Amino acid sequence: MSSKMLLRGTPLTLTLWNPKIQHKLLQLRRLSSKTNCSSLQPPNVSHLAKTAHISLTPTEVEEFGPKIQQVIGWFGQLQGVDLQSIEPSIRADTENNLRDNTPEIFDHRDAIIASVPSYEEPYIKVPKVLNVD
Amino acid sequence: MLSTLQTPRSSLSRFTLPSSSTITTLASLTTQSPTTSEPQSQILSIRHSLLTRNLSAVDLAHSYLTRLRLTEPHLRSFLHLPDDQTIISQANHLDRRIAAGEDVGPLAGVLVAVKDNICTVDMPSTGGSRILQNYRPPFDATAVKKLKELGGIVVGKTNMDEFGMGSTTEASAFQVTANPWDVSRVPGGSSGGSAAAVSARQCVVSLGSDTGGSVRQPASFCGVVGLKPTYGRVSRFGLMAYASSLDAIGCFGSSVADTGILLHAIAGHDRFDATSSKQEVPNFLSHFDSASSLESKPLKGLRVGLIRETIEDGVDAGVVSAIRAAASHFEELGCSVNEVSLPSFSLGLPAYYVLALSESSSNLSRYDGIRYGNQVHADELDSLYGDSRAKGLGSEVKMRILMGTYALSAGYYDAYYKRAQQLRTIIRNSFKEALDQYDILISPAAPSVAYKIGEKKNDPLAMYAGDIMTVNVNLAGLPALVLPCGFVDSEPAGLPVGLQMIGAAFDEGELLRVGHIFEQTLENCRFVPPLVADSVE
Repeated sequence: MSSKMLLRGTPLTLTLWNPKIQHKLLQLRRLSSKTNCSSLQPPNVSHLAKTAHISLTPTEVEEFGPKIQQVIGWFGQLQGVDLQSIEPSIRADTENNLRDNTPEIFDHRDAIIASVPSYEEPYIKVPKVLNVD
Repeated sequence: MLSTLQTPRSSLSRFTLPSSSTITTLASLTTQSPTTSEPQSQILSIRHSLLTRNLSAVDLAHSYLTRLRLTEPHLRSFLHLPDDQTIISQANHLDRRIAAGEDVGPLAGVLVAVKDNICTVDMPSTGGSRILQNYRPPFDATAVKKLKELGGIVVGKTNMDEFGMGSTTEASAFQVTANPWDVSRVPGGSSGGSAAAVSARQCVVSLGSDTGGSVRQPASFCGVVGLKPTYGRVSRFGLMAYASSLDAIGCFGSSVADTGILLHAIAGHDRFDATSSKQEVPNFLSHFDSASSLESKPLKGLRVGLIRETIEDGVDAGVVSAIRAAASHFEELGCSVNEVSLPSFSLGLPAYYVLALSESSSNLSRYDGIRYGNQVHADELDSLYGDSRAKGLGSEVKMRILMGTYALSAGYYDAYYKRAQQLRTIIRNSFKEALDQYDILISPAAPSVAYKIGEKKNDPLAMYAGDIMTVNVNLAGLPALVLPCGFVDSEPAGLPVGLQMIGAAFDEGELLRVGHIFEQTLENCRFVPPLVADSVE
């Protein structure tokens, strides 16, 4: 499938009960798995979960894997577009209005403390940090 | 009566007095519109009734609360509702101030619902997530602070997809909200609760948030007006961040005028939000024309561009037909309507998801069970983080965090995040070009009407695909107004279709002016769901 096909691009709109659209979706899904750059490793869900500090159950790893794979594959469309000499935009055009760097006292510190799950005045209590070599 | 509006307090000073010619115009907004049997502005009607002592704030509050309590078991719009007494006593306080001849703000007596990812100091704020199940913020979001200062009464916190991640409220940790038009269908999302609450007249107006369409799509599904302002128009301070470069607090109302009044109340620079704009907030309603004063072609000369890619394959025939009818309506009003192509449109969807998921993986790392939220006990810190997040976060949120983590991993940043940012530049430029040629752009707000609860739950790509109409606007940071323009046949009463109108940056005033005229001249369309039709005058 050429990159031209990607650029012309079917808008990814679906109505599940439309067979014409189901067919297109199938095409797109096949397309998306072929356009992954060969240098990009597919997502390793367990490794990602460690990085993101989420303890996944084995069932979740198994369940999430294909769905994540599918979406990451779909992201692959971005590889096929010619983006040379285009500046990346961090966000829409906005001002960046900084306020003066002067400290202020916040009135409801007790409300902040009240939200802390594990508090032993004046410490936020956490378990030991295990040093893994 | 409007000529007695005064603005003595500094918090009211931005709500400047309209000129005398507009006072007459605005006064007519309190009367019934010739084409629908609903007032053109519920807020202005309320104000008129309160100040002329025809109605007390207490009676008004009772009437809304009665309807709210009757409909809520069927709709589940709200996650938190205070005791009725809390609302009534605020209303009572207002009545006493009015009786004493004190000046009251433009939102006096108006019941406002607030999406649960917007912090309120006197009610829980969960973001729709178990990890924040009993969280009470120590502060009000700036938007909430402003609406309270102007007399608004927060009636409750509304249901949403967890942390804004979803299009139906099915990803809420707590409940699924039903669409008031057909309770077997979704209200849209992620601001589904806020949209349903206004649609069912459980409140007058509400606040939502829109990162990829989360105000506009539910507005379309629920047959109400929804506005996503320009990025930076409304402070994000106190809005739980999903994707910081895309998030915006938006407004819902049952009319364009009400949506505009709410926007005016919450807009403006805030020193606590470095991305909030210092651009002056105009008095949006001062440019409104009342229906009775409209000439035959009130929008003569307005150039409207219908985005071709939004009415092609994959969009419900009923939606396309409603949008084409809206285009004809614009032509009747004197506009020139032409199709315009934005070829980069379809690439906006994956670009949006890369950016949103990446930014959210960073923003949601603060939910670690240490400083707030639910904590799972563990003997060791890493497990405390991992287990607290595993237990407290829902599946959709977990998946999105993992995908965002992937896209930002060393070695992949250039392939995904950076490319998505480059696409953002392309999309911004293509909108700029289009908005040079056209005054406003129009499109559907969603490719379908509200679908059944459970229909798209297990297919993430199918759900994401529904955002095609809305995400590009967030990427470009532009304002967009959605208003109901027609129906698709469906038992029991048809399902509403929303028209999206996109404008240039900070041009909310024009969108509102044009939207108001469109709304007031739309014949035979009354957008009140049968569920509440009897109790709404």
